Amino acid sequence: MTWLVWRQYRAQATITSVLLAAAAAVILADGFQIASHWHSIRVTCSGNSACLQQHVPLVSGLVSDLPYASLIVPVVLGMLWGAPLVAHELESRTIDFAWTQSVTRTRWLTVKAGWLLLAAAACGGVIAALTTWWSGPGNALQADAFAPGQFDTQGVVPIGYAVFAMALGIAAGTASRRTLPAIAVALGGFIALRLVISDFLRQHYMTAVTTYYHVTGSFTPPGQAWVLAQGAVSRTGVVVPQGWGDLYPALPAACRRLLPTAPTGQSGWLNAVLSCMQAHGWRGFATYQPASRYWPFQGIETGIYLLLAAALIAVTFAIVRRRDA
Amino acid sequence: MNPRMAIETHELSKRYRRVSALTECTVTVPTGRVCGLVGPNGAGKTTLLRMLAGLARPTGGTALVLGGAPRQDPAFLAEIGFLAQEIPLYRRLSAEDHIRAGAHLNPRWDASLARTRLEELRIPLDQRVGTLSGGQRAQVALGLTLAKRPRVLLLDEPVAALDPLARRNFLATLTSAVTEAEGGLTVVLSSHLVTDLERVCDHLILLAGSRVQLCGDIDTLLAGHKVLVGPRQDAAPIERTHKVVQTVSTAHLSTLLVRLNGPVTDPAYQAEDVTFEELVLAYLGADEAPASKHLTRIGEDS
Repeated sequence: MTWLVWRQYRAQATITSVLLAAAAAVILADGFQIASHWHSIRVTCSGNSACLQQHVPLVSGLVSDLPYASLIVPVVLGMLWGAPLVAHELESRTIDFAWTQSVTRTRWLTVKAGWLLLAAAACGGVIAALTTWWSGPGNALQADAFAPGQFDTQGVVPIGYAVFAMALGIAAGTASRRTLPAIAVALGGFIALRLVISDFLRQHYMTAVTTYYHVTGSFTPPGQAWVLAQGAVSRTGVVVPQGWGDLYPALPAACRRLLPTAPTGQSGWLNAVLSCMQAHGWRGFATYQPASRYWPFQGIETGIYLLLAAALIAVTFAIVRRRDA
Repeated sequence: MNPRMAIETHELSKRYRRVSALTECTVTVPTGRVCGLVGPNGAGKTTLLRMLAGLARPTGGTALVLGGAPRQDPAFLAEIGFLAQEIPLYRRLSAEDHIRAGAHLNPRWDASLARTRLEELRIPLDQRVGTLSGGQRAQVALGLTLAKRPRVLLLDEPVAALDPLARRNFLATLTSAVTEAEGGLTVVLSSHLVTDLERVCDHLILLAGSRVQLCGDIDTLLAGHKVLVGPRQDAAPIERTHKVVQTVSTAHLSTLLVRLNGPVTDPAYQAEDVTFEELVLAYLGADEAPASKHLTRIGEDS
């Protein structure tokens, strides 16, 4: 069975390997450049954080989108390899050949889906390792490894995404019996789930920590924490997010008077307003996921995707075993 | 179960939602026979063959192939050779790739048999099968099916798309495989081409309107039917003893194809032997009325 899988997929496997190697070469070349740039910055600034901040962002231009490009790889594999796995054999009727050899459908699917899921995990792993390494200096400078967009491209979660996308493609192709709708479902389903999880679910994996501080002071969560919200909160619970955009209507009348009526070159008024707020019981707050939760979050997110993938594969087996060819 | 029967079905049925593809099909095919399966399009031929091969599941009744129900079991699958109408092969793989794949997928694989047969027919083994002609593809597919050394071979209109020469070659390959197996190979071959079936088959199953109309040894069936030619008159006396399958009348003469139930005693009729083609066409034509009744009944069910 493995021989047939290899014979069927060796062309795609070769093309994918070549593309992956090319991508790896680009990432490596660029990564070494960034690493040496980062090294020289550190030597120049020698620990002066104001000096370091002048170099943010470390990477700009087209290459800064590299991690996002890597997000496409898993879903493309799911669309081009996963969706046709069963669907194309049904469409071209080769299923009649495959399912009348002396191999049960269960074994046929186990070997075929097994190898493709393994290939997806390997591709996801390679991409994740490269991107994690490439993002290292940027993360160190900007302390943003936990932030959405960085978290999604590094660590182990890309492996979960790749395995899930492949399983989704396989299951969609088996259920719909046609490749094209399955490709659409794999693409739409993957993007939808990624958005829902990264925008709405991820921040609730563990209860976020909230730290209060003097509104006149400042606070930065230590390490590569993920800040969900930061700003000022009044005694009655009125929240003004950092940036102070909606400050005016929220302020007590006594403090409102301190706001300048016309643009002024001086910033002394802000300290006066903040002191006034402090006097009226306002506090600064930051709600965040501490840096120590980075790996637990990676584990939870990967686990969610792997469990969903397992469920999709179980459904695929049930359909393949029971349905007519 | 009867050990002499390679295939035995009992009231085997298959429904797709509201449409009945096969209704209460009870047939037997003795071991070592080549059985022709005829019927109009949609009569249930493909459905029957796919259920025997384990590719489709019955919605009613039972099927026994070599004494067991078709199932997902390597030992059972190894006994069955199946070739579908569409000649399913991986178009981008060569015949040689298929032969090697077969070796990995089957316990009794005879690769040299497949290679020799295809080389005799001068079919290139290393060319993508998608680039071969229809006849060559059919021969490759049959070669692969035979290389599996099955004990039951189920062929679903494999010659339908072939030109006469390719068809003859295909049937010659089939016939020689049956001869070489010395009674160990049972074949069910569906086709629209009655003359082809007459040449290679010794057993017949005739389906029409999703039901079995005829099943049995061809010589026995032919001996059991006669064409009666006589004056155009009331056929009631004949129908009292025999079953009239088809009546064709001119102004003065009636030609009746009847299933005999004892000797024909009416001196007004002259009895003639029936040919295979006449028999098949009579049953296919006779079905038209019952078939439409059958459809009405399905309509009433819903």
